Amino acid sequence: MKVVVVGAGLAGLVAATDLAEAGADVAVLEARSRVGGRTFGIEVAPGAWVDAGAAYLGERHTALVTLLDELGCKTVPTTVEGHSRFALGDGVQTRAGRFPPLSAVALGTLFDLLDEVTSQVRPDAPWLSPNAAALDELTVAEWLDERLTHPDARLFLPLFLGEMMAADPTAVSVLHMAFYLRSGGGLRYLNAFAGGAQDSRVAGGAHEVCVRLAEGLTGRVHLGEPVHAIVQDETGATVHGRAGPVRADAVVVAVPPLLADTIDYRPGLPGARAGSRTVPGCAVKVHLIYPRPVWREQELSGWSMSADGPLLSTVDDSPPDAAIGVLTGFVTGREAHRFAALPGAQRRAAVLAQAHRLFPGLPEPIRVEVTDWINDPYSRGCYAALMGPGDWRRLGPQLTTPHGRVHWAGTETSTAFFGLMEGAIRSGHRAAAEIVGRPR
Amino acid sequence: MSVDVIVDIYRRVLEIDDLGPWSDFFAAGGDSLLATRILSALARTYGVELSYEDFLLAPTPAALAERVTAAGVLR
Repeated sequence: MKVVVVGAGLAGLVAATDLAEAGADVAVLEARSRVGGRTFGIEVAPGAWVDAGAAYLGERHTALVTLLDELGCKTVPTTVEGHSRFALGDGVQTRAGRFPPLSAVALGTLFDLLDEVTSQVRPDAPWLSPNAAALDELTVAEWLDERLTHPDARLFLPLFLGEMMAADPTAVSVLHMAFYLRSGGGLRYLNAFAGGAQDSRVAGGAHEVCVRLAEGLTGRVHLGEPVHAIVQDETGATVHGRAGPVRADAVVVAVPPLLADTIDYRPGLPGARAGSRTVPGCAVKVHLIYPRPVWREQELSGWSMSADGPLLSTVDDSPPDAAIGVLTGFVTGREAHRFAALPGAQRRAAVLAQAHRLFPGLPEPIRVEVTDWINDPYSRGCYAALMGPGDWRRLGPQLTTPHGRVHWAGTETSTAFFGLMEGAIRSGHRAAAEIVGRPR
Repeated sequence: MSVDVIVDIYRRVLEIDDLGPWSDFFAAGGDSLLATRILSALARTYGVELSYEDFLLAPTPAALAERVTAAGVLR
C-alpha cells in the first residue's frame, strides 16, 4: 500500500513512521526546506539550540514521553529559582515567586469563572457539550465583559490567555477557550511549570524529535514539496506537489486547518477544515542570547510579566550548564499582530528597550532571534488554530472524519492535548491506525 | 465565622477530602493559582479581601480564620 503524508511536522512524521512500520510504502511531502513544522530549533551558539516553536512538556504528555524514550531524547527541567519582575502598572516591581502584584481576590474570581466554564465542556467532543450553543455564541471578551469588573482581572485575562493558548480574547470563542483549557489538563496543569505542562524541555530542542523521526524515514521525506491538490478517483488518490503527481492508496493531510483549506480537493470537501472565524494562533517568540544568564546574578529567575508589549512575558530558557544565557520572550494575542507588522530594526529596538527595563544591567545580547509564526505561510499561526464563535459546532462533527482516502492529522484534530505536541503525536498515531486498519 | 467553612472551601478547591483546620495548603498540593480561588471564596463568603502575602503567612484554615476575623473587625 502506498501512502502520501502531507506535512513533516510532528503529526505527519509520527503517522509516516507508524505506517512504514506497518509495511506501507510511505512518501512524506513537506513544503519547507526543513522538517519539524511548529517545532523549530535555532542553534544560537555551537551546540546550543533554542526552541523557536513548541518547547514544553509535562508527564501527562504520555505519547510524547514514550516517543522521546524510543528516540533516545532526554529532557531538561524548566525550573529556575529567583525573583520575578512585573511591569503591570507604574514602574517595574521585583517580587518573590511568580505571583503578580495584582488583587489575588480579583484573579481568584477570574479563575473561578474559567474553571466553572472549563468543567462544563465535554473534552472528547466540545461541540456536544450540554450548553455548547451558548458557549459558542460569544467571544471570551464579550462573555467576560459583564462578569469581570475588577481592573486587575481585566488586565490579567489577555496576558493569561496569551500565555496559555496564544489567543486574543476578542477573537476566540468561549467554547474554544474552555475546551482548550480542559483538553490540556485544566487551568492548573496548563499553568504550572514544575509538575505541570511546562515541567520540562527537550534537551537539544523539541525539533530534534522530528529530525530523528525523519532519520528513520530516510529517502521517504521530500522537502520543498508544497501540495496544492489532492484528486481522488475509483482506484486511488493523486497528490499534486511541486515535483509532479504522486499516486497513493491513502493520504494523510497533517497540516493546520487554515493550510489544509489551501489544498484543492477533488471531489471537494463536504465542509472546510477551518471555520469562518478561525484565526491563526497569535505568537511571536523572541530569543535574547547573552554570554551567561546574567539576571541570575541579581537573584532574578528571568520570569517577567508586562501589561504592555512587545514582551508580555519572559522566561529563562538557558541550557542546563548555563554556558550561555537565553531569555525567551513571548509576544502573544493582539500584541503579536502589532509587533509582527513592525520592520526588523524596530522590532529589535522595542525588544531590547523592554528587556533593559525589566532586567537592568543586561549587557548587549550576542544575538536576537525573532520567530513570527502568525505570518509563517507554512504554519499560519502557533501554538494552534483558534476557533471563533460558531466554528466548533460546524467543524467538530467532521474533525477526524476521512474524506474518502484522505485522512486528517495535526494537533488541531486531537481533542486530547489540542494545540500541544502531545496532541500532534496522538493525531498521527490515530490517522495511521485508520489507514492500517482499513481493508485494502 | 467558622473554621469548618474554610476547611470546606479548601476541600472544594484542592479536591481533597482529608483536610482539617491545620492542613497546610501548599503541603496539600496547592499552588498560587488555587490560592487565589481560596481568597475569592473567602471574599464572597465573608466580604473580606486578603492579599496573596496574607495567605502565604497563613496557609491553614485555622490561621486564615484568624486573619478573616481580624480583617472583619478592622474594616
